Amino acid sequence: MKTIKYNNMLKIKDLHASINGKEILKGIDIEIKAGEVHAIMGPNGSGKSTLSSVLAGRDHFDVTSGDVTYKDGNLLDLSPEERAREGIFLGFQYPVEIPGVSNVNFMKTAINEQRKYRGLPPVNAAEFLKMMREKMAIVEMDSSFSSRGVNVGFSGGEKKRNEIFQLAMLDPSLAILDETDSGLDIDALRIVANGVNKLRREDNAFIVITHYQRLLDYIVPDIVHILYDGRIIKTAGKELALEVEKRGYDWLIKEEENGR
Amino acid sequence: MEGKFTYTPEIPEVFRCRVPLPDTAQAFVINGLVQGGANLPGGVSLAEVSGGGSHIAVEKGVKAPGTLQIIAVRDSSAGTPLNLTHQISVGEDSSFSLLLCSHTLTLDSYSTIDTIALNAGPKSVTEVVVMQNENNNSSHETKFVLNIADSALVKITIVTLHGAKISNEVVAHINGEQASCELNGLCLADGSQEMSTIVNMHHHKPNCHSSQLFKGILDDDARSSFAGKIFVDRDAQKTEAYQANHNLLLKRTAKAFVQPQLVIYADDVKCSHGATSGRLDEEALFYMRSRGIGRDEAKLLQQLAFVNDVLETITNENLKIRLEELVESRLRGEFSHCANCSVNCC
Repeated sequence: MKTIKYNNMLKIKDLHASINGKEILKGIDIEIKAGEVHAIMGPNGSGKSTLSSVLAGRDHFDVTSGDVTYKDGNLLDLSPEERAREGIFLGFQYPVEIPGVSNVNFMKTAINEQRKYRGLPPVNAAEFLKMMREKMAIVEMDSSFSSRGVNVGFSGGEKKRNEIFQLAMLDPSLAILDETDSGLDIDALRIVANGVNKLRREDNAFIVITHYQRLLDYIVPDIVHILYDGRIIKTAGKELALEVEKRGYDWLIKEEENGR
Repeated sequence: MEGKFTYTPEIPEVFRCRVPLPDTAQAFVINGLVQGGANLPGGVSLAEVSGGGSHIAVEKGVKAPGTLQIIAVRDSSAGTPLNLTHQISVGEDSSFSLLLCSHTLTLDSYSTIDTIALNAGPKSVTEVVVMQNENNNSSHETKFVLNIADSALVKITIVTLHGAKISNEVVAHINGEQASCELNGLCLADGSQEMSTIVNMHHHKPNCHSSQLFKGILDDDARSSFAGKIFVDRDAQKTEAYQANHNLLLKRTAKAFVQPQLVIYADDVKCSHGATSGRLDEEALFYMRSRGIGRDEAKLLQQLAFVNDVLETITNENLKIRLEELVESRLRGEFSHCANCSVNCC
């Protein structure tokens, strides 16, 4: 793995994106440095999931203008798989079920594809299984999950734990967690958040997209952004999340509209 | 039975079917003539059928170990078309496992019509795996006629890997009570290949069980058809009969025709049929790509996952693994480069 510390892990500059001709992101600017955790909050329909989809390279979203620089390169030039191999991870809001593909086979294929990209030989079977056990322990997942189909028949909480397990296996530089707290009970939330905390390092970064302050009690962010109508209307420290929890978004929206 | 046949060693030398297992007894049927048949398990006999084909008999009470493989090959020395009959009789309380694979050794245009007649005696257990892998100029029609006695269990798995025009028709008669018939099939087609499957499942007696699971993956301009019928006679109460046909179409130009039918005269039965045609799941592809798996590999994983439950039904673990490898190699498109090779080994 790369050990270079990227002062600028991700730099989003005036990003505009639309879907089916409708503009969703209307000029986003965010800078993320290695070692940081950024939270993005905002009301429904503000563009949070669109932002994560655009960063991960999902089809059907058109970037109409702006730049996204990841490490030293243009992120938008890369396919989804190239982004993943370069160290970007998207934790899905709704993890996909893939019947017939076991969790273990899925992870082995993913890791080997990433290793191939880095010019490394396929992972040794014994090492791989040891790694699976270690990383499953981080999110308190039972080893029986490894032979089951990817997310098939998993509860909401198990699916989100599986996302963090995959995150631990793939060890990305930049992880984007899209509403990882949705559909989680308080115990699962704690397990998932603890998992993320164990993976925080000086040389990686996280973007945590959430509706609720609750998750941020566990994953304490360095910076909080409020996204509204496709723009970042406020950026501040972790105290902003508490203020939003208390006062809602309306005062921020009014402030923004008065300032426009 | 040894010594009865003239063994032609040159065929096995040039021909390497990738399916044989270390513990498999083998016999060749070359242009319809039985050649060889060494290491047959005790109680199992193999003979020629006049006009072409083989007669396999398993004596009463014999539990034949392993799997017998019949490798049917065609080369340019025989004229077309060829009509073959394979008669299989499995005695009372016996068990038997057979792999029948058919191949073409040259690029000539072959036409083969097979009849596989199976008589499964009372309380017998029979598993037949048929694998068809022929060149792009060949047509092959196989008709299975199954007669199943009391408490017998028959399981047929048809794996159609390659061929211009391959059709499989299964006519099953469940003639005794407490019997079970399981039919599974998989067909993979691309280019302008045409695959057809016809099933007529007849439940004549009460308290029997049957299932059908047929799947197809079609690419390019390939065509497949599935016509499956379940007949339940008036006396065949407490029948359980299920049928499923699922198709994965990789291109808009590929077409699957499906005709599921139930004809039920009894009033206390459980029967169902289900048929689907669909595309690859784009959301699942994106999920896999977001983990670093390339688009082609992600598509392949999804196709392998799609056919997984058909191959899972094969009891012989080694055979299942070999077939999984062959299916993967076929889906990776590795068969097409064999098209110009005279030793069509895979």
